[in-house]
Amino acid sequence: MSIDSHSATPTPASPSGGRVSGNPRFYLTNEFGLICLIVVFGLIFALLAKNFFSPFNLFALGRVAAVNVMIGFAMMVVIVTGGLNLAVGAIGVCGAMFCGFLIQVLGLPWPLAILLGLALGAGLGFINGFAVVRSGLHSFIITLATMSIFFGAMVFLTRAESFRGLPPIFSAFGTARLFGFVSPLLIVAALVGVLLSIMYRYTVVGREMLAAGAKPEAAALSGVPVGRTIILCHMLSGSLAALTALLVMARNGAAIPSMAGQLGQDWLLPAFLGPVLGGTLLSGGRASPLGTFLGAILVTMLTNGLLLLRVGEFWVQACLGVLLLFAVLVDKARRSYLAHLKVA
Amino acid sequence: MSISKKIALAAAATMLLAGSAFASDTQVALVPGGPHPYFTAWEQAGKDAAKDFGLAAADYKVPPKWELSAQNELLESLLTQGYNAFLIFPGDPVGSVSTANELTSAGAPVIALAGCLKDPSPAAFCLGTDTGHSAYLGTKELLKAMGGKKRIAHFTGFLVDPNTQLRIDAVEKAAKEEGAEVVQVIADIDAPEPAEEKINAYLAAHAGEVDGIITTAWVPAVVASNALRKIGDKRIKMVGIDHDEVVLKAIKDGYVDGTMLQNPYGQGYIGSFAADKLRTGCKVKADAPFKSNALTTKFIDSGTVFVDAAQVDTYVTAMQGITKDLFANFEKTYLDCAQ
Repeated sequence: MSIDSHSATPTPASPSGGRVSGNPRFYLTNEFGLICLIVVFGLIFALLAKNFFSPFNLFALGRVAAVNVMIGFAMMVVIVTGGLNLAVGAIGVCGAMFCGFLIQVLGLPWPLAILLGLALGAGLGFINGFAVVRSGLHSFIITLATMSIFFGAMVFLTRAESFRGLPPIFSAFGTARLFGFVSPLLIVAALVGVLLSIMYRYTVVGREMLAAGAKPEAAALSGVPVGRTIILCHMLSGSLAALTALLVMARNGAAIPSMAGQLGQDWLLPAFLGPVLGGTLLSGGRASPLGTFLGAILVTMLTNGLLLLRVGEFWVQACLGVLLLFAVLVDKARRSYLAHLKVA
Repeated sequence: MSISKKIALAAAATMLLAGSAFASDTQVALVPGGPHPYFTAWEQAGKDAAKDFGLAAADYKVPPKWELSAQNELLESLLTQGYNAFLIFPGDPVGSVSTANELTSAGAPVIALAGCLKDPSPAAFCLGTDTGHSAYLGTKELLKAMGGKKRIAHFTGFLVDPNTQLRIDAVEKAAKEEGAEVVQVIADIDAPEPAEEKINAYLAAHAGEVDGIITTAWVPAVVASNALRKIGDKRIKMVGIDHDEVVLKAIKDGYVDGTMLQNPYGQGYIGSFAADKLRTGCKVKADAPFKSNALTTKFIDSGTVFVDAAQVDTYVTAMQGITKDLFANFEKTYLDCAQ
């Protein structure tokens, strides 16, 4: 369920807190709509596309979805504050390349290299957050600039050379299949989603993030350190972006500069699709880790299904757009109908 | 019906039956890194190969955009759809190795086509233009056409393309050997928008400072040909690459001195043949006479030829000749099918 600055704090009016079952409001949420759409499209593709439910396809779908989900989370944690992080791809690639450098060139143990890669992501996020807070400029401008700076510096320092001298555990993790069809990458994404949900719903810092995004002035009057909270959100976004790139690194078996495209721009579309479809408000104050997870799964499933249906490769993007529009409109109609029947 | 006719009919029927019995269930997917005119010849090559070698399919499948992840998704989807042999232009020479590993572990042979995977990789071999050699020869031809003048500009493709750095190095080497200077290298412009913007801007400002242009990617060759035609000054010599109509017409009209043809059709045709052979039991010969480049030690040159105004009308014949020569000895030279 989506969590906003009101629902995050349990009150007598909403005693259920995070409970879903038995809460009729859940049937009106984006998340329930997304679950319905995933089931419906899953059935359609299972009927029309050969091997849609084959173990390999489920594995491949889950692995791609995991990366899209994680990219969505990295953006969502900044959208919560009413901001954006266009440098999400650039930061991610920097984190992964740094990790690859530490392992291959400096010979550091991989767990330490991973931690330092995540730390670099958080550090670059700190630069973004600090610049946003101190300059007063919108994060769109700041992160648009740092996207080029971070990526350019990475290319300059690495000479655009890949690091492929990684321990076998990386490739083993990226290609492992649990129960024959589940990618461990998807488990990591789900785990991160659960942790984010707990943070927003049950921790002070999570509530402060939502409050700072909903109404910064009111939050400041209530004693929330808004500037520090925004910086923290950017640091979280940076470390999540780095974690995402580490997952891609495991999938590719190497840290490569082009893993997120030129300047990391390949990540921008999935970064917005998941959170927005999932009900995270672009104006801030509301987050939905579950919705982001489901939104990314839906988009990935639609792409996968359309490819299996052998829709011409160039039509996939157009069909994806049409299906997404259709899905959103149907979901809106469903909620209007249920509201009309006073289900809530 | 005479006996001889009956025997002939029986023989024909036997051959037909034998033909269908030997028809392969190989489904080859020819997958470039993204949309690009260079690869369009693979479509016809696949169709012809499927027909000539009795393959179940040899289909050209293009990722909708130049993204490693989009290519990976497409490849995984094609494996799910039942394709069992892959000819791939790697989206990234290192990053595509993992996907190639997954394809080969599913029993599908992989051949790197037009661009190589970095060793070690599961690709049986890499069949493509010896891009460095082609750029080297093209630069030599350009310098020959330029006479005593020695300042050249080099317009080339994506830096993420494994071939681009090889081309840059080769042009530099050829220029150095002839005492010429590469005054400008403009890369990452193998797409219409950046090519138009950067080439036109460069020529507008610096046309007087260069005596020759070498282009080693498709789109820059087209844009530079158009630019020279617009300028109308035949003082600047140019050698292009590939066989776009714009370049060929500019050669005929004297604005461009020649082009280095590659062999995408031959790559797709022979690659489909080899992929089927590998899937049906042939092995790559341990002592096959592979060449080496910066990425792999298992490289096969699919051929290149310089075409100027004298041969521009017969370039198709020239390329067919290269394909025919390579194909004639391919199995004997590179494959071991003695099972």
